[in-house]
Amino acid sequence: MMVVLNFTLTPEAAAKVHDLLVCLGKFSDTVAIEARRERFIFTALNSSKSAYAALTLDGKQFFSSYECVPSHGGPDGRFTCSMYTKALLSVFKGRLYDPLGRDGAIDRCEVSVQDREDETQCRFIVKMVCNQGVIKTYKLTYEAVDVMHALFDRNVARNRWSMNAGVMKEYIEFFGTKTEMLDIFAGEDGRAVFKSYTEKIANGKEILKHPLVTAVAVNTSDFEEFNVQPGCHIIISVKDFKAIVIHADTMKTSLKAFYSHPTRPLQFSYGCDGLLCEFTLMTSGDYNGATALPTPAPAAQVSRGASLAASAATSDARENRSMRPPVEPPSRRPPRRQVGSRQAALPNRPPQDPESLFVNEDEEEDTQWEPADYNNEEEALGWDASADRNAGNFPTFQDSGSFSRPDGVQSNTDSMEGIAPTQRVSQVKGLW
Amino acid sequence: MEEEDELPLLTAVSSSARQLYLLLRCINFAEKAHVQINDGGLQFSVDEASVMEGSAFLSKDLFTTYTFRAPAPSQREINDSDDEDAPLEPDLPTFQISLPALLETLQIFGLTDPSTSKPHWARDAPASTATGGAFTNNVLGMNNMCRIAYASPGSPLSIVLTEASIRTTCNLTTYEPTFANEIPFDRQALAFKTIMRGTWLYDAVAELSSTSPEKLTLWARTRARKPYFALSSSGTLGSARVEFNNTPVTRAPPPTNNAGTVDAGAPQVNLLETFQLSDPTTPFRASYKFSLIQRAARTMSVATKVSVRVDEQGVLSLQFMIEVEPGKVSFVDFRFVPLVEDDEDVEETQFLGGEEESDESVMEDEDEL
Repeated sequence: MMVVLNFTLTPEAAAKVHDLLVCLGKFSDTVAIEARRERFIFTALNSSKSAYAALTLDGKQFFSSYECVPSHGGPDGRFTCSMYTKALLSVFKGRLYDPLGRDGAIDRCEVSVQDREDETQCRFIVKMVCNQGVIKTYKLTYEAVDVMHALFDRNVARNRWSMNAGVMKEYIEFFGTKTEMLDIFAGEDGRAVFKSYTEKIANGKEILKHPLVTAVAVNTSDFEEFNVQPGCHIIISVKDFKAIVIHADTMKTSLKAFYSHPTRPLQFSYGCDGLLCEFTLMTSGDYNGATALPTPAPAAQVSRGASLAASAATSDARENRSMRPPVEPPSRRPPRRQVGSRQAALPNRPPQDPESLFVNEDEEEDTQWEPADYNNEEEALGWDASADRNAGNFPTFQDSGSFSRPDGVQSNTDSMEGIAPTQRVSQVKGLW
Repeated sequence: MEEEDELPLLTAVSSSARQLYLLLRCINFAEKAHVQINDGGLQFSVDEASVMEGSAFLSKDLFTTYTFRAPAPSQREINDSDDEDAPLEPDLPTFQISLPALLETLQIFGLTDPSTSKPHWARDAPASTATGGAFTNNVLGMNNMCRIAYASPGSPLSIVLTEASIRTTCNLTTYEPTFANEIPFDRQALAFKTIMRGTWLYDAVAELSSTSPEKLTLWARTRARKPYFALSSSGTLGSARVEFNNTPVTRAPPPTNNAGTVDAGAPQVNLLETFQLSDPTTPFRASYKFSLIQRAARTMSVATKVSVRVDEQGVLSLQFMIEVEPGKVSFVDFRFVPLVEDDEDVEETQFLGGEEESDESVMEDEDEL
């Protein structure tokens, strides 16, 4: 059985692929591709696993033609692979779309996948058909991997705002170039403050990093929507935020943010014309938003234990634990153990989630979010490096199409336009 | 006789050092260049390990005055006396010179760029920018005099640059020529020849460089009675191929298509102006070291046209026509020794030719026979 994946892009769409690859390149050296019958998804997970991007291209709307028949899995089947962002960018260059039809501009872009058992070489083939009879064909190597998705529950993310990306881009230009973190603060005076900062790091008398703060205050009336609990601080990486805003600006659209409270994931979403971009970022910050925080390192002054206890009591109980690490491919460890290790991810589990990807809530001394415990095999996740795509091709947690979609339990009913989760909660439950 | 000896062998005056610079920069990949002076102009040639060579010809048309006093047929033994033509020709002055030093010299006037030193109203009218493009003096701010003189064998090459009240004299040491054999190229026995726009070749080479390849392969064949020329390469991340078809694949070219191109108005722009295969029945293929071809990239980017020729031995000649100013063309030549093909490459042949389209065309070619 072989995969059929063929699609054609207009010059405009190919230019959008270039733009999105530039953006994903700021997160990861590799992008994963997931092709389904109706849509095509680029995903990227950064090396610290604190940012996950999923850019969904609608089969009908984004492409001039799109055909995908995965080799297995029936209607829910998929073809997945991973490629170097750099390699794709060398194919999807800038200026593919040029209204004047100058050199470098293309007439159309045809992509197909050569993935047959009888072929010695599997290739991702991109054919750029340029004007005047020049055809550029690239046959790129790819790695067969499993693609994981981070889930995000918008029902829980009560804090929301939306702003024109072009306006937001003007604000980010004020951020100090060397700042690392971004604190988004909803004031009680009708203003939101975007504060980019670097904390001072000193080793004895030697200052390794100088503190730097740039704050941009924006009237909440300048937002298209601003519905955030006053006093709420949420902290993300400036670099991620900039990459997202710059890309959103290329699409001339509005950037929407969804989040619940610090230490819980935040999602940025934007899109138009058949391209939906979702970035799920880990956050840090002070949960007791009411506490006034004078300087950077907002969370540092608050007892971590107390804030976490509050967190657990108030909202974790109704939270779906929706953002959790993608499961590791079975090549890394037996699925049995994997299942066991993920117990805490169940919605009806006790609130404390010792395996949470994004925050180790029991860790008292470290108030900053800790990405992952790399020493812990259970906690680490990675791409499947094995090229073995037949045996145990779809790990336990993946869609096999044999489970009907449960109502109710499914957490992302709110985000209908989003990507369906790869792991179904019901499926997970059924396994142990 | 003696009087003549006092006069320099060569005096040439150019009003644009920039033009000379742009041409010589094309072959700037070696320390020393051989210079040969003749009636028609100055020939600069460089070579790399005898597998690649490049030459730029500064025609006397580039100079406002060009006076070459050919030395009388030399009394000393002509080196290549076995060549029967030699005794009839005068002994043309040949020497070596440091090419980077010469380029540096020609650039000296960049320091006093008149476009910045003069107030804007005193500058030359910018009208010519529309016609001249990137090579006009006004655009480049190099409207100044450059006088090249070579007194006698052994004397330095003297370059005098004059701009307003500043005069710079540079004497560049000349070296004895080393008679490296030039790469033999048989114009009479061509396996393949095509002429195309320089920028297309440049674009193709730039495209292929993304795969960081070791070698570049040229392919040519008559596909369905239409010329087909392709360049391909492969590296660790995959392979890439750029092909040129004379029948545009564009089904319905957007009306804007031809608006910006030079060849607007031509009924159907042919990518390949000339296309000759010595044996049209068999596909042509030859490989070259990519890094060497890449050295000609700068020339490709400025050339109006390039003539790609491969002789029966596989030696590749790239001849570039460069328009230094409207209506005035110069030529820069490159020659490359081919790589010896391994048998392993057969696999690649199939790989590249194994697509549906190729199959069709092969069939059509057969029909033709």
